Amino acid sequence: MAKTIIDAHNISKIYNKKMVPVKALQDVHVHIEAGEFVALVGPSGSGKSTLLNMMGGLDKPTLGTVIIDNIEITKLSENKLIDLRLHNIGFVFQSFNLIPVLTSKENIGFVLQLQNVPKKKRRQRVMELLKEIGLEDKMDNKPGELSGGQQQRVAVARALASKPKIVLADEPTANLDSISANKLMETMAKLNREENITFLFSTHDPRVIKKARRVITLVDGRVDSDEEQIPT
Amino acid sequence: MFLKIAWLNIWRNKRRTLITATSVFFAVLLAILTRSVTIGVYENMIRNMVSYSSGYLQVHQKGYWEEQSIDNTFELDPELNQNLLQQPGVIQIMPRLESFALASFKDRTKGVMILGVDPQKEKTVNNLHEKIIEGRFLENEKENAVVIGEGMASYLHLNIGDSLVVLGQGYHASSAAGKYSIKGVISLGSPDLNDNIVYMPIKQTQAMYGAENRLTAISIMLKKSADLRDLKSKLEPRLDPAKYEIMTWKEMMPEIDQFIEADSTGHLIIIGILYLIISFGLFGTLLMMTFERLREFGILIAIGMKKQLLGFILLLESVMISLIGCFLGVIGASLVIRWFTKYPIYFTGELKEVYQNYGIEPIIFFSEDHQILITQTAIVMFLSVILALYPGIKIMRLKPIEAINS
Repeated sequence: MAKTIIDAHNISKIYNKKMVPVKALQDVHVHIEAGEFVALVGPSGSGKSTLLNMMGGLDKPTLGTVIIDNIEITKLSENKLIDLRLHNIGFVFQSFNLIPVLTSKENIGFVLQLQNVPKKKRRQRVMELLKEIGLEDKMDNKPGELSGGQQQRVAVARALASKPKIVLADEPTANLDSISANKLMETMAKLNREENITFLFSTHDPRVIKKARRVITLVDGRVDSDEEQIPT
Repeated sequence: MFLKIAWLNIWRNKRRTLITATSVFFAVLLAILTRSVTIGVYENMIRNMVSYSSGYLQVHQKGYWEEQSIDNTFELDPELNQNLLQQPGVIQIMPRLESFALASFKDRTKGVMILGVDPQKEKTVNNLHEKIIEGRFLENEKENAVVIGEGMASYLHLNIGDSLVVLGQGYHASSAAGKYSIKGVISLGSPDLNDNIVYMPIKQTQAMYGAENRLTAISIMLKKSADLRDLKSKLEPRLDPAKYEIMTWKEMMPEIDQFIEADSTGHLIIIGILYLIISFGLFGTLLMMTFERLREFGILIAIGMKKQLLGFILLLESVMISLIGCFLGVIGASLVIRWFTKYPIYFTGELKEVYQNYGIEPIIFFSEDHQILITQTAIVMFLSVILALYPGIKIMRLKPIEAINS
């Protein structure tokens, strides 16, 4: 039996508690096992991003607990949370968010630098990932010199550089054309298979949903369905 | 890597960085030049006053300064001389006998200050012979000749070779009188001295005042005026307190010290305002650099960058912009200072008179003291660190998710 890597237990998030309360999440239970490739789907405002942020320790739930790899992150101090993210969680954001002044290889190696990984090992891992995402010829290009799809692949490579246990991707294909989106999903699926990294990504793109092996649907801040599927 | 990121970040908006660095450049340039001129003028004023009259330190007979009379002189003591010369920092000691007298030529008479000096010793430290504008400087301590200030020569209509009659009160109420040939006319930095000074060989002075082998003071010349207080405290215990007193030029001429203090305060206020202005400029740039990158900061924190490290990078950015301005400012100021040290600015006309009325030589001197460059650069760097505190605090309070969604 696979190990539970993410355990979001009884999560509720209420914004504007004092004025007009907005219930972004209500009593959400989600258990994700190591190596899963999960799509978090639902209409806009359903709470996908909020849940991802809770699981990544970027936001705290109003109620409930989040346990990542047996660590209850809702109780961690800010610096410990940053450390946890640095070593265990890779993030991919909707709008690429690479460091504009660094080249592709520097962006990918940035997290490794934060982890004080020796230069030789760093270079090796960066080259490995560049090959994986098929952007070896763009390693010295800055984000401004890459297409949206290429930037997002670099962002995925950055998220994977430190071999995190989990990658959380918030609508990673939202700003990509269908070919780039497809290519990105294939890259993510390949890395999930080969490196056994748990992927949890939010989306409402049906073509992307098809690639997931498990689909959790959120509606109005509640889990509406949680189904396994065969990716196509 | 982080240095590289900071460096590349500041060039994201080249124009803004250049404008900010330029404002730092001008502030540093102006601050250094202002301080250099101020200190240069003071240094020159002190050098003039000290070299041509008091010396940096003076040893007197105890009580002389309270009652500056020829009767309060002391006998030349080779042991005392030796003692003073042994002190580190002392480059020369000069025996002097100083008193007032009436000097006359034809139908004109003037109160003057007679300064009995050892011409050879004076030459070694004061270069008095280089200040001679007519004739020559004294050569030995016995010759029957005097060198007078140019103002006095003009007032008494004296020329080289004319005889100056001097009349005064000598040691123990004896009468002091003599007739001396004008050997040279000297132009000194201090207008006061120019109008009143009569340099006379010390042996002649002692003979005229009937004070054989006696001195009013031993003037001590130092390598640097900065050693003043330290040397005085070292010398004091080595002198017989019942017999001698030792005074610095600041104690002997407090009005000059006070003038420098007051004038300096005014200049410091102006420099303070200058730095306040550039602080706002630099702060504005830092604020813009912070607020326009809040989302990026949120992402960096999300992927595992510690807030402290992020704050440090912002600090580096602030310091780098300041350093560019400082570096160019120091180079620019050094070139200007070097130029004006070689070719000082001489005032003419009314401005010259104004300066002379205040007893200041009408020349703008620039101080080459490296401390000025270091101090002004350090102030700007300190400001840039202080100003970077606000963005640093902003980052420490930053909530990554709010920043990412901003």
